[in-house]
Amino acid sequence: MKETLTLTTGQGFWSALIWAAAALATLLLAGLLWWRGRREYKRGTEQELPFLSGERAENPGVGALHLYWGLTEALRPVLERLRSWHSGVINDYAGWFVVILGIVLLLVLV
Amino acid sequence: MIGNLPFVACMVLIALGFWTLLFKRNLVKLVIGVGLIESGVNLFLVALGYVRGGVPPIYTYAPAGAPMVLPTPQALTLTSIVIGLATTALMLAFAVVIYRHKGTLDARKIRELRG
Amino acid sequence: MSAHIPILAIAVPLLGGFAVPLLAKLHKGLRDAWALLVVLFVGACVGYVAVHVFTQGLWVYVLGARHPQETLAPGGFPIRIMLVVDGMSAFMGVIAGLLALVAFPFALRFLPEEEGKSLALTLGLLLLAGILGMAYTGDLFNFFVFLEVTSIAACALIGFRTWTSRAPEAAFKTMLLYSLSGLLFLLAVAFLYGEYGALNLAYLARELRGTFVDRLALGLFLAALLMKAAAAPVHFWAPDAYGEVPAAKALLLVVNTQVSLYGLWRVLFTLYGGLWDAGVGWLVVALGLLTMVVAAFMALVQTDLGRLVAYGAVSQIGYMMLGVGVGLVSLAGRPEYGLVALKGGVFHMLNDALTVGLLFLCVGAVEWTKGTRDLRELGGLGHGLPEVALCFLLAGLALAGLPPLNGFASKILIYQGSFRLSPILTAVAVLASILLLAVFARAFQGAFLGPKAEVPNRVPGVFLLSMAVLAVGLLVLGLVPGFFLEGVVTPAAEALWRGRALYLAAVLGG
Repeated sequence: MKETLTLTTGQGFWSALIWAAAALATLLLAGLLWWRGRREYKRGTEQELPFLSGERAENPGVGALHLYWGLTEALRPVLERLRSWHSGVINDYAGWFVVILGIVLLLVLV
Repeated sequence: MIGNLPFVACMVLIALGFWTLLFKRNLVKLVIGVGLIESGVNLFLVALGYVRGGVPPIYTYAPAGAPMVLPTPQALTLTSIVIGLATTALMLAFAVVIYRHKGTLDARKIRELRG
Repeated sequence: MSAHIPILAIAVPLLGGFAVPLLAKLHKGLRDAWALLVVLFVGACVGYVAVHVFTQGLWVYVLGARHPQETLAPGGFPIRIMLVVDGMSAFMGVIAGLLALVAFPFALRFLPEEEGKSLALTLGLLLLAGILGMAYTGDLFNFFVFLEVTSIAACALIGFRTWTSRAPEAAFKTMLLYSLSGLLFLLAVAFLYGEYGALNLAYLARELRGTFVDRLALGLFLAALLMKAAAAPVHFWAPDAYGEVPAAKALLLVVNTQVSLYGLWRVLFTLYGGLWDAGVGWLVVALGLLTMVVAAFMALVQTDLGRLVAYGAVSQIGYMMLGVGVGLVSLAGRPEYGLVALKGGVFHMLNDALTVGLLFLCVGAVEWTKGTRDLRELGGLGHGLPEVALCFLLAGLALAGLPPLNGFASKILIYQGSFRLSPILTAVAVLASILLLAVFARAFQGAFLGPKAEVPNRVPGVFLLSMAVLAVGLLVLGLVPGFFLEGVVTPAAEALWRGRALYLAAVLGG
């Protein structure tokens, strides 16, 4: 029975049951904190309205495309390079295949 | 030396095919490039099975004791030709559809899917 | 009758596929029932074969012999075409059968009648037949034929929507690269035939000596199959293809990629078992790392939901290559961690099939209801499609390898195995996983969170059923991984790890 639930990896083990117990405990703790939350919060009042920098924001949705803006901005040179490899020109793709063929043959024959 | 000529020819064909794939921009020419590589491979297969002075591998017509050309590579080549016909037809059909949509066959301009 | 099941698993979808348009002339309902029946039959066949192989060992089926176990012609030479099903083949068959069983009911509802549904079903069944043929065959030329069958069927499906401008473009590029890889595979087969005069995989495996021609053939096999399996940097066709194929059929395309990877393992472990230096193993590991990182980065900047999921699918190929590649590097000494990593890589094939399959089904459901997959226009679907949102979240987390889902179970094996070889490998793999988590958080927010959006169509019950099957699979595989690891994955991994001698003995005797 234990074998079906646990995964031994040679250096340790992984059991979903233990994980589930830990997750349950964490959830209980979080629920406890949430339940003790602020009493002055009222549903259905202006407290639910979104604000951005203190201003009422009409359409506050941060679109998915704005997510990780900092990361993509920081990695822009890398990402641009990667995108330029996916150029969409079939000749380039054939060229990459020739490159891989060359590398593999070099590795195998030499 | 003359016996190696078919092998030289198929390597030249394959090299030409790769050249076409790398440097030609017209989609139809690219399909021709694949066809060149395919011809090279088929020629290689047939040339492998040839036995000098051999007779066609048909038992009924072969004189007794005569060496036969290997039949298996010929069967393989036939299969490969049929498959090649299907792939070529499919690629040309897609080239036609692409031309209808975009009005061009230039590989550099057909890059709606990128990045 | 039961002695012929391996060949029936290939023959029935092949013939049944061509019967589909004929039956459509009679009655549409009859055609749908027929397609389902064929897929159910194939599922039963691969299940039977798998149980048989996992309990009783290799199953060899010879075509054209007096009885199907007669492997050698008079003279002791394996001249006939044969199917050789070992643990790994049976495992691939199970994956293909499982995804087909999920994909076809979905496709029957997903494909509109006026968009040539009958032909799409035919192509789907042909693709399935080709995949099973590649998994089961024990003959190199047969492998090439089935490889081309899958190429043609897959590309016809990719370019199926000829009225869009993107689909034919994706199909043309994919077909060109597929035929290139197929031709190089054939060239490699021709080299081996020229040297040894045989096409039988087991016979060639016994005869190979590591000469110049053998090595040349190995290089050609490697390049061809890496291309077909979408390893970076020759993965460029994969996002186009996965993104443009009708979503219900993307599942079969995922299996097609995996079975090409299976072909690579077959060539490296069974055909060339141990003839190369460790360089080839390191190449597989390095390309695996490159694949996962490049694909994860590219997924981060996608705005099309289908293309984003496609890049996610490509990145998973990298994990399989890493896991099995570590096994390959350490094959000479056979240390314990090599087997652990190998098991992880093989296990990840099953997990990837379920996870990516579920993601593509979710993409299909979103496309069905909203008519678009553009993340710039989507949003707020979670209110109207809570079931789809839940499935997408589950699958996204599983793909990123979060416990307790199935992706974690296989990834921890890969991590632990590769850590012993070099910690750098594990670090890169974990980094790619974190990136994937970011990718799917972004995709989930873009499609399902936000202000409530109108949902014009309800999701049909069949969609939900297909998705529920895969979602339950994700959870079950994650919660009791040991059960599946022992029952299914270990026989498959052992077939690669030590099964070469058994494979040769089953075909050649002695």
